[in-house]
Amino acid sequence: MKKTLALLLAVAMIITAVPFVFSGCGSSDKSGSKADTATTTLTVGFDAEFPPYGYKDEKTGEYKGFDLDLAAEVCKRNNWELKKQPIDWDSKDMELNSGTIDCIWNGFTINGREDDYTWSVPYIDNSQVVVVGKSSDIKSLADLKGKTVAVQSDSSALAALTGDDATKENKKLAASFKELQQIPNYETALLNLESGAVDAVCMDIGVANYKVEASKDKFRLLDDQISSEQYGIGFKKGNTELKDKVEKTLLEMSKDGTVEKIAKEYKLEDALCLGK
Amino acid sequence: MKLLEINNIKKSFDDLEVLKDISISVEEGEVVSILGPSGSGKSTLLRCATLLETMDAGTMKYCGEDAVTEVNGRSVYASKQDLKRIINYFGLVFQNFNLFPHYTVLKNVIDAPIHTQKREKGEVEEEAKALLEQMGIGDKLDYYPCQLSGGQQQRVAIARALAMNPKILFFDEPTSALDPELTGEILKVLRDLASKRMTMVIVTHEIDFARGVSDRVIFMDEGYIVEQGRPEDVIDNPKNDRVRAFLNKLSQ
Amino acid sequence: MAALLVPSLLTSCSLDDKSGLGWFFGVILQLSEGMWASLVLFVLTLLFSMPLGLLVCFARRSRFKVVELIAKFYISIMRGTPLMLQLLVVYFGPYFVFKVALSTEYRFYAAIIGFALNYAAYFAEIYRSGIEAVPKGQYEAAHVLGYTKAQTFMKIVFPQMVRHILPPVTNEVITLVKDTSLAFAIAFVEMFTLAKQISATESTIMPLFVAGLFYYIFNLVVSYAMGLLEKKMNYYS
Repeated sequence: MKKTLALLLAVAMIITAVPFVFSGCGSSDKSGSKADTATTTLTVGFDAEFPPYGYKDEKTGEYKGFDLDLAAEVCKRNNWELKKQPIDWDSKDMELNSGTIDCIWNGFTINGREDDYTWSVPYIDNSQVVVVGKSSDIKSLADLKGKTVAVQSDSSALAALTGDDATKENKKLAASFKELQQIPNYETALLNLESGAVDAVCMDIGVANYKVEASKDKFRLLDDQISSEQYGIGFKKGNTELKDKVEKTLLEMSKDGTVEKIAKEYKLEDALCLGK
Repeated sequence: MKLLEINNIKKSFDDLEVLKDISISVEEGEVVSILGPSGSGKSTLLRCATLLETMDAGTMKYCGEDAVTEVNGRSVYASKQDLKRIINYFGLVFQNFNLFPHYTVLKNVIDAPIHTQKREKGEVEEEAKALLEQMGIGDKLDYYPCQLSGGQQQRVAIARALAMNPKILFFDEPTSALDPELTGEILKVLRDLASKRMTMVIVTHEIDFARGVSDRVIFMDEGYIVEQGRPEDVIDNPKNDRVRAFLNKLSQ
Repeated sequence: MAALLVPSLLTSCSLDDKSGLGWFFGVILQLSEGMWASLVLFVLTLLFSMPLGLLVCFARRSRFKVVELIAKFYISIMRGTPLMLQLLVVYFGPYFVFKVALSTEYRFYAAIIGFALNYAAYFAEIYRSGIEAVPKGQYEAAHVLGYTKAQTFMKIVFPQMVRHILPPVTNEVITLVKDTSLAFAIAFVEMFTLAKQISATESTIMPLFVAGLFYYIFNLVVSYAMGLLEKKMNYYS
């Protein structure tokens, strides 16, 4: 009995010691990746519940999406290995700063975060739009007065409506709602919309288009937009070297039409703004 | 030969002085009963004698070996090794039996001799079976304590203590957790042991029990020994008022 | 909540491509990878937290005031702060405090370490209650019979303690099954995270229900196993 216990503890200690050894090895790789041409892997952090930019493919079970396909192509052209790391969106800054991911590439809004990361050039223009039920009588932003509106918590739409940098009009608009509900994710927000618990959902145009399409005529978009914003690839502040490399390849891909080709697969061609 | 010698023992719990200068000695083959009202200190005395409590002052010897000596009026205990040997000189039977509930009757009896005295398993088992047979529970070897009556459990506890081959056996109110009609069962076992010249010290408040088995009765009150002698003297013709009052109260 | 979920559940079932048995098994197949991750996390957490909890329990009962206080502090921190925060500290702590570069493999270890440290605190308190439920008379009997302290614990106290603690341990183990979903805080992809991802891709909440079913079955097995163990330990009562 005592022996078993001692053995278990010994095993526990060895196993807990291993990662530190590993992380020691890993660190040399990592510093190399930042330093120069010796980059071997590019670890992209993304929210795997964010179609069409990054999500789990229903058929293959692989992570895919517009952003991941772009990243894969960038890696291919640089002869890097791509590592797709799904992350908890709330921990993205810790992940990036601690070096467990090299960049955040996931429909990542630049506006309002300009100084927090080293940004690539914007490649998607993502406006915030309003999704309502197909037969809803809401036709314009003004019709939202007195209605219950949902947004994803900690999302661009929420920031655009009530954040520090929100425009006066948007703040006024938000104030005219009966209620502005924060819901953890788009999926639940749309379930709320479908069941009538909320009257409208504000979200990114790319996701909105995808969802409206997938809903088979349950939802539609308002013509009025709440805000216009742009997506970029976020690197750890100061890591311009890696940013420049990725950006250069991305621009090349834009020139030879690869980006547009990939965008079409995800119906995002209208939102592309690379090189414009 | 004196198996147990306790001199001038004192013991306090916080401010309460429970034992105030008590000395007793027990001869080989003697059966001593300690009587007295609750709170008289008789259980504490037994617990000090069996090393379950530490005494504040006084000395104690088992079979001539020093278990506790005194330096500057304070008790000093012998080394761990010495105490480990001395602990084998005595056995204790508890009021609540304190059998190990997860062991069978047989394992309760043989486990300690095998693992603490390092004796040979086969030999201990033979001896244990004989002891349990003698206690009238030879057919219950594979039972668990919870499957036995109180009287049977107490007999297992006695067998467990005897299996250690003690020179002196202490009993802490061995019948007070039992139904009155089972008292006789235990009394019979003790008489049996007495007839085999087993040295025993029995703390009890059952007068008939004490009279029925002991050579000598010690009466304690408020931390002192107030009277001692042959049972027919102490119990039937007490000289001390407090003893008389206690006995009267019981007989009412 | 239920009123919200039921209609959407019905509509998602009515989409023909997402209601068939084939689709259902497809989801299960995709989830099974996460199920394995959850299972590994579960088993390893138990393997390490149970003995560690015993050590913490000993420290908590130590005669030395300092050791006891440290153990008390440890237990109060582990029980008084969210497990998710503890996971973040274990994973990111080495970088932010010591500037150690983190490897991706460390996610897995951090999850195990975080869970084991947290559950050890709970187990320590359960053990303590189990040990304290063993009557004083058992120690006294063991002492008089010459058992050493170690023998007394291993032969007399421990087996009785195990019996006392089985019901609360079962509770804790069942909670652990469900708590594994917290590991995604440090991007350890387990079953529930996969279910959320599939759910987001396929615009239906069915995968979450399938995941729920998985957890339920997992816990049925755990309860059944613990029930058997309890019965086995009940040979005396």
